[in-house]
Amino acid sequence: MPQIFSRKVNSLPTLTLLGTLAGGVFAVLFVWYYFSPKFTDVGYAPQQPVEYSHRLHVGQLGLDCQYCHTNVKNANHSNVPATQTCMNCHSQVRTESLKLLPVRESWATGEPIEWIKVHKLPDYANFSHSVHTNNGVGCESCHGRIDQMEIVAQAQPLSMSWCIDCHRSPEQFLRPNSEITTMGYDYPEDFLTANLARIVSEDIQPPTNCSACHY
Amino acid sequence: MIELPIIDSAAANEQTPRARYWRSVSQFENSTEFQRVSGEEFIPGASNAPEGATRRQFIQLMGASMAMAGLTACRKPIETIVPFSHMPEDRVEGIPVYYATSMPFRGALRPVLVESYDGRPRKIEGNPEHPDSLGTCSSFEQASILGMYDPDRLSVFNHKGATSDWGSFKSFAGQLAASSRIVVLAEESSSMTLAATRRRLEQKFASVKWIDYSGAAGNASTRGVNAAFGKSARAVHSFSNAKVIVSLDADFLGSVDSDSVVNARGYSASRNVDGTSDVSRLYVIESGYSITGGMADNRLRLKSSEIASFAASLGSGLGVYAGDTGVHSSHPWIGELVSDLQGAGSGAVVVVGDNQPAGVHALAAAMNAKLGAVGTTVRYLDAGDSAADFSAEMTAVIGEMTAGNVDVVITLGVNPVYDVPSFSDAYAKVTERIHVSLHQDETAQGATWSIPQTHFLEEWGDGRSQSGLKAIVQPLIAPLYEGAHSNLEVIALLATGAEQFGYDLVRETWRSELSGNFETAWRKVVHDGFYPSSGFSVLSASASAAGIESAMSNVSVSAHQGIEVVTRLDPKILDGRFANNVWLQELPDPTTKVVWDNIAQMSPKTAENLGLHYKLNGGKYITDIAKIEAGGVSVELPVWIQPGLAEDSIQVTTGYGRNILSDREIRSTNFFDRDDHTDVYGHGAVATGVGSSVAALSARIVTATITKSGSGYMVASTQDHGAIEEEGKIVQKRGLFRQATVEEYRANPKFVAGGEPKPIREDWADYPTLWEERHPANTDVITQSNYHDYQWGMVIDLNTCTGCSACVVACQSENNIQVVGKDEVSRGREMHWIRTDRYFVSGDGASYDSPQMVIQPLPCQHCENAPCEQVCPVAATVHSPDGTNQMIYNRCIGTRYCANNCPYKVRRFNFYNWTKTLPDTIHMAHNPNVTVRSRGVMEKCSFCIQRVRQVNKTANIESRPIEDGEVVTACQQVCPARAITFGNVADPNSAVSQMRTSDRRYELLAELNVKPRVSYLGRIRNPNPNLA
Repeated sequence: MPQIFSRKVNSLPTLTLLGTLAGGVFAVLFVWYYFSPKFTDVGYAPQQPVEYSHRLHVGQLGLDCQYCHTNVKNANHSNVPATQTCMNCHSQVRTESLKLLPVRESWATGEPIEWIKVHKLPDYANFSHSVHTNNGVGCESCHGRIDQMEIVAQAQPLSMSWCIDCHRSPEQFLRPNSEITTMGYDYPEDFLTANLARIVSEDIQPPTNCSACHY
Repeated sequence: MIELPIIDSAAANEQTPRARYWRSVSQFENSTEFQRVSGEEFIPGASNAPEGATRRQFIQLMGASMAMAGLTACRKPIETIVPFSHMPEDRVEGIPVYYATSMPFRGALRPVLVESYDGRPRKIEGNPEHPDSLGTCSSFEQASILGMYDPDRLSVFNHKGATSDWGSFKSFAGQLAASSRIVVLAEESSSMTLAATRRRLEQKFASVKWIDYSGAAGNASTRGVNAAFGKSARAVHSFSNAKVIVSLDADFLGSVDSDSVVNARGYSASRNVDGTSDVSRLYVIESGYSITGGMADNRLRLKSSEIASFAASLGSGLGVYAGDTGVHSSHPWIGELVSDLQGAGSGAVVVVGDNQPAGVHALAAAMNAKLGAVGTTVRYLDAGDSAADFSAEMTAVIGEMTAGNVDVVITLGVNPVYDVPSFSDAYAKVTERIHVSLHQDETAQGATWSIPQTHFLEEWGDGRSQSGLKAIVQPLIAPLYEGAHSNLEVIALLATGAEQFGYDLVRETWRSELSGNFETAWRKVVHDGFYPSSGFSVLSASASAAGIESAMSNVSVSAHQGIEVVTRLDPKILDGRFANNVWLQELPDPTTKVVWDNIAQMSPKTAENLGLHYKLNGGKYITDIAKIEAGGVSVELPVWIQPGLAEDSIQVTTGYGRNILSDREIRSTNFFDRDDHTDVYGHGAVATGVGSSVAALSARIVTATITKSGSGYMVASTQDHGAIEEEGKIVQKRGLFRQATVEEYRANPKFVAGGEPKPIREDWADYPTLWEERHPANTDVITQSNYHDYQWGMVIDLNTCTGCSACVVACQSENNIQVVGKDEVSRGREMHWIRTDRYFVSGDGASYDSPQMVIQPLPCQHCENAPCEQVCPVAATVHSPDGTNQMIYNRCIGTRYCANNCPYKVRRFNFYNWTKTLPDTIHMAHNPNVTVRSRGVMEKCSFCIQRVRQVNKTANIESRPIEDGEVVTACQQVCPARAITFGNVADPNSAVSQMRTSDRRYELLAELNVKPRVSYLGRIRNPNPNLA
């Protein structure tokens, strides 16, 4: 009786086993990378209703973040400015610009501009801008080099592990309160020592317990 | 490994309890069903899968879901940020702003402070600066925020069945002939501006009959005082000065009382057992069982119709009444009460309930005057209340309407078609029927003009508080529905023919009220929420014996055979005006714990005589239906057997059986989706079809015929939910509620320790808990956290808690707690984070038929050794460094092990996605600082962690420590009796630490070594030793 299966088939169980293992490893790695906020969220840069350029306003003209985001040090939310803030200048500068048409329309009609939200936290995570900006966390640390962005894009994953990284070792990220809005802040050589001293003197202990943010 | 010994009799606690604490008739009888309900970890049926979908359908559905699950995940939802175009000054997004205003309630203003979150009214508290409130309020104020967002509100004008608008109504109003004969039925109002506008209306039209509509409550008190003093006056009490209080059918601590907040605060002040002054004594004589009866030191159950005789006898004993004293003239209590009242002198006070006839009110006024109480414990204020007999007025008006002598009927925020059954036919005979209301209610359905009314948070107005302080009602938001107008604006339009804005009208009135610079003074009154020193003047008249004789001449003092039926205002939905409010519908009744229904309460013996029964079945009751017949009308209601009621007296409440129409579509979802089944908003207006109306019955029927007309009706009541057997296998007596008399307390201040069950293990040190070595509280992460400096704890004083349940609604409003509906409550799936457990007490001088009643609020106890944390497989419930036990919703996978292991049964599970089907407006009432929970997630009291964290952040930014009293929980904030204290137990000087040093302090189930952070202070009664 001839053999039904050729000799080659003998290696099939081994190959299947290896394939399954490799497939398993691949699946884990695939999910690990492609399902993580690092891949899904970083770089999210939706088209905004107004082609507002942070590169121009912050990078070239040197506007401070707080000129528009006025309540970043006072409230949990950092506000997106009212049309009125745009019109402070644009009632006199570039009054004919086509790009600014939606702004002038909003100003004339009173209808708000609907900006697309870029940085999103889930509803069950409570985040306060004020408590961070008053304790030496710079805008740049979470939002990246806004001064270089034509369209605002998400720079960091905003995942819980990313939050916790900083909460566990704040000395790596803190900067003087006077430098909060500085873009491209140059950490001095001794910043670690300075930060460690500050952490002791100001008793900075970012919470890492669940109910600090989740309630 | 630790060897736990087999439980044996040696470990049993040998003490025999002096009194028995029980929750229900079933528990008293220790029925097998009660053993099943309390013995199982969840209420039987709580974990059952929904019915409706078959296994095959379920598999189909799951297959389809799996296939589509991948697709939905690919879409990134777009969220927008919508800033202002023109920024209002001083507005900071995300920081709430508080405005003082007032809520009109039963003819007076209740001062409130409303939190506005990004322009959206969100939560209501009492106005802390107003002397009538001092920051506290009742469940009605708390729930009224939901009334504004009620999705069933009338949103459009309706004219003879067609949609109309304000413009059409304006032209109609302009054409109304000056010769029109007008009847106005207006909800009781203290508004000065409305009174001024009313005068203009009376000037314009030939005949205007204006009736202050007191509805089911009546105005017996005003008429009684009028009879006694010859002048109408409002009785306002100062129980803080009281030494002896006699309540004749008066539920003055209940939320329906016009002055319940002030009364509760005053009463709790008079019960200060740790001070030097004497503790007051409260006698309650009543036919039902109110929460005031629960607070009584001596309580006598008496048929409501016979209380007049008791009052007459008391009046005779005090020498203010010489007439016939009737059946109770030689009641053994009379002598004791007379001597106790006379002994207290000016510290004595007699209070009478709305249900009693005017004659009894007159007697009480005379007794108070005789005792010298006027000015100390009671003040009679010249409030200008109408002393006309409301029911007689209504009868006269209905007669006029039937005879065709009325051209226009205007109903302002009242609902006479529902309240007065004979009104409907007469109403149809009137040509123009103008109705202003929040809902398309029974009257709106018969009106020619139905006008959407503004909620009090949307309108300008004014008025006076119960004690007469004038105030301005300011709006927090523009009317949600275009075209909604206030009563004031509608009357002003009719009176002048031209449109008037409430703001201008109110300012016009206040120009003469305020002195000095008007703008400055106006802004101050609007800001403060009241105008100081503008109270009513105090009346100092003496009682006339003849007036009392004549008032009492209409009152029967003889004994009545047969069964009486007493109709009272419902403690949750009042006369039906809150019937569409789901928070109040689902609030367990303070005494019966029934939700979503009205019932005929009767004593066990009465029920037995009538052959009526009810039976506990899982988390619900299966009851008979009683048919109540009297005077040719009949009403059918489910039977509720309530110990402690007077024999042959049936208690029913108003407000149910409403028929409100709603524009919303009836929800119908796919077979597999059970959300429509649990959706309280999914079946038309909320109030429609809940309970049965008792409007056909007169307020008090002396002799009614009761028959059994059905059985098998399901009543959902939470009274057995979360019950713990009074005796466990290990402990004979749990001592959940501990109380003593004043004498016992003085002799043995540490009496609560006597009620302490022995620990289950004699020496806990031999039995370390699961986590002893690395107990979460001892880890570096916890002890080195900044939060660790503050250890939050709570003390609840059972001596002052009245059980009014305002805390339950406040918690619901603060913490986005969802409403689940009657059916789900009957399965034990209610979501309230704090519940008020009611126990009856028999033995110790009280009997099964006439037990004492005590109330115990029960939030999460935040155990330091929390059993829930030890069983969570995913660490979704963990301890925070500040010593509270927290639920981390995003971690929870819904095993429910924690609820299983919680000895207090305070954990609540989201069996459905209750929020998925909520109407949009209801979402607007949600607190943005608290996560809205989804299906499959456990939740429970968090000690208002969002408020703690907000203060943490503020203190951190301002680089300062948190002050005592800076963090206030929602339940603590609302409590009119100030029974709840919250704060940092690590600070020995904090208020809560001071309370924890009290001799009366004990912990619940301390024998389990769970170390709860919530402590209770034992209750002290002050009964008259001569009365059993």
